[in-house]
Amino acid sequence: MNLEAFWHALEASPLGTFVAESAWAFPTIESAHVIAIVTVVGSIAVMDLRLLGLASRDWAVTAMSRDTLRWTWGAFAVAVLTGGLLFVSNASGYAGNPWFQRKMVLVFLAGLNMAVFHLFTWRSVADWDSNRPVPTAGKIAGGLSLLFWVLVVFSGRAVGFTLDAPV
Amino acid sequence: MPSFGDLLYALTEWLRTTPLVELSLWISNQPLSLMIQNHFWVIPTIQTTHILAIAAAFGSVLMINLRILGLTGGSGTMTQTVARFVPWVWWALLTLVVTGIFMIVGEPVRELINPVFWIKMVLVVVTILVSIWFQARVRRKMADWETKRDGRIAMRAGAAAIILLWCTVMVAGRWIAYAPV
Repeated sequence: MNLEAFWHALEASPLGTFVAESAWAFPTIESAHVIAIVTVVGSIAVMDLRLLGLASRDWAVTAMSRDTLRWTWGAFAVAVLTGGLLFVSNASGYAGNPWFQRKMVLVFLAGLNMAVFHLFTWRSVADWDSNRPVPTAGKIAGGLSLLFWVLVVFSGRAVGFTLDAPV
Repeated sequence: MPSFGDLLYALTEWLRTTPLVELSLWISNQPLSLMIQNHFWVIPTIQTTHILAIAAAFGSVLMINLRILGLTGGSGTMTQTVARFVPWVWWALLTLVVTGIFMIVGEPVRELINPVFWIKMVLVVVTILVSIWFQARVRRKMADWETKRDGRIAMRAGAAAIILLWCTVMVAGRWIAYAPV
């Protein structure tokens, strides 16, 4: 079974046809997707700006992480779920769309950046938790995170302008 | 009983009889509007800025109101939380208004002759007014938020209402694209 056949099978599934054909399903799921994404980006930006030393300097880095991270992850789960539902309505169209592909790569890069930060830079967090400048690696992680998420939002919006209608 | 869809159609029909039609056509012939219409990437770029501003505003709204609801932010005082996040809500809102105006100039018919657009505008005004009122109440209570617990249930109801109002604005914003115009 090649990938193209798999995408078409997804589109033809009851879920795929429901999201594609219902008058309200797509816009409603898309609205939830937007709310989830702005929550992800908004909460991550709070942490990124703290790492960059541009805001919340009177907050400990670990405290800021504790306050934001579970909301980032919760909203990310909603974004993946709603994004998956939108995807199955026109799977081959999305899979073949260059902006959708870029968006997926950028989400992956944002996750990789976060993983590297938490696996390596975070180990010494006790040394720079408060009243100490964040090390360069942490600032780079914050800057890259902001950049990746801005590009994720742009790519997502670009999908809507370049997507081929389902065949 | 007429459905919500019928109501939207009726509202569109009525909008078509107002001077908004002429205004939209006039805007769409202005140099700035023509510039936006003739450059494919301008609209997605403005929309992206608009969404990023929503992320800044709504992220800050969540940090303040989830703190009031006791769901996050326990590591800072209420006074710290308000000082950190309230200015971001208003600066982001200014960005939303500016990018919103550019979107209207770029696609005046899509917005001004659209019932969902006007529903969103009403929701925006209501959200702003309720936020101004609620913010004054939060500022009055924030100094001894950690020690005095009276009136907390009302404050939590207000916080939940603000979050919900922002969500309805976002839902209405997305539905602009699907309204019968």
